Amino acid sequence: MSYLTVLYDPECGLCKRAHAWLADQSKLVELNFVPCASDEARQRYPQLNHDLTTKDLTVVTDDGWVYFGPKAWLMVLWALARYRDWAYRLAAPELLPTTKRVVSLISQNRYQISRAAGLAK
Amino acid sequence: MTIGISTYLIYLAISIALTIWVARTLHKNGRVFLVDVFHGNEALADSVNHLLVVGFYLINFGYVSLALKLGYIVETAEQSIEALSVKVGLVLLVLGGMHFFNLFIFSRMRRRANTRHQPPVGPDAFTPVQQEA
Repeated sequence: MSYLTVLYDPECGLCKRAHAWLADQSKLVELNFVPCASDEARQRYPQLNHDLTTKDLTVVTDDGWVYFGPKAWLMVLWALARYRDWAYRLAAPELLPTTKRVVSLISQNRYQISRAAGLAK
Repeated sequence: MTIGISTYLIYLAISIALTIWVARTLHKNGRVFLVDVFHGNEALADSVNHLLVVGFYLINFGYVSLALKLGYIVETAEQSIEALSVKVGLVLLVLGGMHFFNLFIFSRMRRRANTRHQPPVGPDAFTPVQQEA
């Protein structure tokens, strides 16, 4: 696997902030950011359900495997040199349900969180 | 030279020779594992290998030194051999334990290095990728 395509929500301040943070991290697997449901995304993945990608973060590997929501977050973490161990820890059977709950909670309230943190929308 | 002193000297000679032999075996054969763990980075593998062997020597010589004292007076050759068998036997067990511990560390490092290429979770779906023109 040489790169991951991250379909992110360009409307949300929190996501843009996360994007900036990710850009600074050293990576074991390159991350390629594409706004979700954009022309570029539709052109690259003609058969993907793009309505789903607007609801939650989506990661697609270079060979076409799709990860939605909390799994997508874990994949992004896994791509980072400093946090690969954490990705495995959070994906362990004991922690995975909690990880999923916390990530979904943040994801579903991303606009409120962005507003509360003063990050435009 | 009394029989007591010769017992100590023979004990030291056997223990030191055994420790050096095991450490060299570990050094020679552990290298392949470490090169694999560090994805062919031989300089790093050699460095870690050397550091492991130093630790191995320190622990074993430390044990040999601490276990030297007999606590009773050896008067006959028979007593000397019996004392040696107990002391050398313990050194062998400690060396064996350390050796397996090292093997365990090597294999764990190797397994870890090999599984870190697998994604932490399985995918949800598959989608064909349109290659850019």
